[in-house]
Amino acid sequence: MKQAGIKVLIVDDEVALANTLAQRLKMRDLQVETVYNGEEALSRLMQEEPDVMVLDLRMPGMQGMEVLKEVKKTHSHIQVIILTGHGTDKEEEEAKMLGGFGFLKKPADIETLADKIKDAFREKCTRTP
Amino acid sequence: MKNILKDLRHPRDLFSISATDPYKSLKIRVILLDAILSLIPLFIVVTTSYFWFQSILKEDYRSQIKWQIENTKQSLDFFIEERVSGLRFIASAFTYEQLSDRKTLANVFLKFKREVSGLVDIGIIDANGIQQAYVGPYKLEGKDYSNQDWFDEVTVKNVYVSDVFMGYRKLPHFAIAVKRELPEQGTFWILRATIDVETLSKFASAMNLGNKDDAFLINKEGVIQTPSRFHGNVLEKLSFPLPGSQQGATVQEITDSSDACTICGYAELKHSPWVLVAMIQSAPYLKIPRIFKNELFFITIISIIVGIIVVTRIANTLVNRIQEAEKEREDAIAQSEHASKLASVGRLASGVAHEINNPLAIINEKAGLMKDILEASEDQSKSREKFIGLINSIFDSVSRCRTITHRLLGFSRRMDTAHELFDMNDAIREVLGFLEKEILFRNIRLDLVLAEDLPRVMSDRGQVQQVLLNIFNNALDALLEEKEGTITIKTTVNDQKIKVSVSDNGHGIPKDKLKKIFEPFYTTKEKGKGTGLGLFISYGIIKRLGGNILVESEATKGTKFTIEIPTTSTSE
Repeated sequence: MKQAGIKVLIVDDEVALANTLAQRLKMRDLQVETVYNGEEALSRLMQEEPDVMVLDLRMPGMQGMEVLKEVKKTHSHIQVIILTGHGTDKEEEEAKMLGGFGFLKKPADIETLADKIKDAFREKCTRTP
Repeated sequence: MKNILKDLRHPRDLFSISATDPYKSLKIRVILLDAILSLIPLFIVVTTSYFWFQSILKEDYRSQIKWQIENTKQSLDFFIEERVSGLRFIASAFTYEQLSDRKTLANVFLKFKREVSGLVDIGIIDANGIQQAYVGPYKLEGKDYSNQDWFDEVTVKNVYVSDVFMGYRKLPHFAIAVKRELPEQGTFWILRATIDVETLSKFASAMNLGNKDDAFLINKEGVIQTPSRFHGNVLEKLSFPLPGSQQGATVQEITDSSDACTICGYAELKHSPWVLVAMIQSAPYLKIPRIFKNELFFITIISIIVGIIVVTRIANTLVNRIQEAEKEREDAIAQSEHASKLASVGRLASGVAHEINNPLAIINEKAGLMKDILEASEDQSKSREKFIGLINSIFDSVSRCRTITHRLLGFSRRMDTAHELFDMNDAIREVLGFLEKEILFRNIRLDLVLAEDLPRVMSDRGQVQQVLLNIFNNALDALLEEKEGTITIKTTVNDQKIKVSVSDNGHGIPKDKLKKIFEPFYTTKEKGKGTGLGLFISYGIIKRLGGNILVESEATKGTKFTIEIPTTSTSE
């Protein structure tokens, strides 16, 4: 399994954060794209399907939970990792219920995130033959 | 330990206002007001009853004197009447001729004297006023009385009792004369007897008077008729006038210049021209109130003492109740203040955490990127290492910030509680599992005194464990390097409550700081080691679970935290 092949889509309204994260993950041999809101994320799915989505919860417009719900409805094999500044148990549980793969709190350690993405990719591979 | 107990603090004590002095002054005011209100009527009653009793006694004594005077007057009236009747009997039983015979008259005189005391002489006087026969100590036979006033009076009134006069022997006497009419002969004759005044005096002395009292007779002109102790000699004029005569005895008070009160009683006699006078100076009615006064004084003192005791008790109870109510009110305010503080911190926390976490994440990622770039570069210069060091210190600060924001989030998250049935001792052992290595590594003595018969608790296990972890961590942090550290964890059950006490022999908390330990963002730990939220959050959790958290501490000796959890906890 080649890491360079893992396609990651970062969805976060904080442009600076999304871009920096993307840059760092790229340095860790991941293919990373960034979008800055939920609607954009869903339309991007239509063009190119990522393996793993790193999703913020609180965003202007469409909220992270709604995006997760939509993604799981249309592209259930895409693994979604929630990366939020407002991590509560309730939200973590909700995300799990909706089929989210992981739940990380900002600020997160880059290695932890990278590992989680790899785990998610592995999970995706086991599910899709 | 006793000293430590003195410093026992409960979070609610932080908000209670020490109010000993205002309550003390309130107590004094209540006591004074109550005492005045209850003692004034007492004094009014005591004074009124004193004067009322005195006037009753005075009245009683006056009527006693009146009764005595009337009795004596009646005796005197009887005395005079007896003598008048005796003379009348003699005058009717004997003829003029018989009595004119000196022998017969002497015989009658002797017999009469035997019957009536004080008889001095007796004589028979014809219609012309000439004394025809006389038996007595003087030679008065043939004396002419026709010019004397009494002769005219007895002629008109048939009976005459004279004023007292000095006889030939210079002794006071009075005379009684009765007229015997002889209608068929158209003439009359008079029988006259003289009586010693001493007999009369005996009546006055029979009145049972005191040493300073006096009783005597005066005539209608105020001339003293019988011997008086203090008011002049016989036949002298009385120094003060008596008001006009009334029916029966009259009693009145006379106050002289020396303010001595004298009771003066007098009564006019029926068959004689005299007035009986009694002057009572001993005034015994003033002595009786003294006995009464003592009793009254005694009762008053007892009443005052009882009154003051009752008033003090009432004031104590009243003020204590007020104080308790005030304290309860203050506690309730403090509790609600604290609860609302908790709620606002909870609301604030989620907002702040989100707002802070995003820029924090950017700082983290930007610094991370810098580090990534530096590490990827071929540059081996010193400045590269320096930059990496600087970036690591940014990571440390970010990590510190993250600890705070995540705890705040954790706090707001724990506003909801989930109850389950669990064993407190197991929960403690589980928490200690996290700290096992540190305890071993630092060579700390851990004493577990866990009650075996502890009932299971219906509460939020996770939250209770969070509080326990926080308190155990605090105990570990408080232990000093130079002293052998001991931590004692004890569980007990009492009155449907499980108590977990955690004592350490660490540096303790000074009294002034003890007040603040449950406040948010208050820490005594080194910079970077504590967030100042641990006990604040613990307090909030325990309160929500319906329990209590208490702290006792003494600087340099150690600290003891006690958590009370109800066995069937209902979250607030």
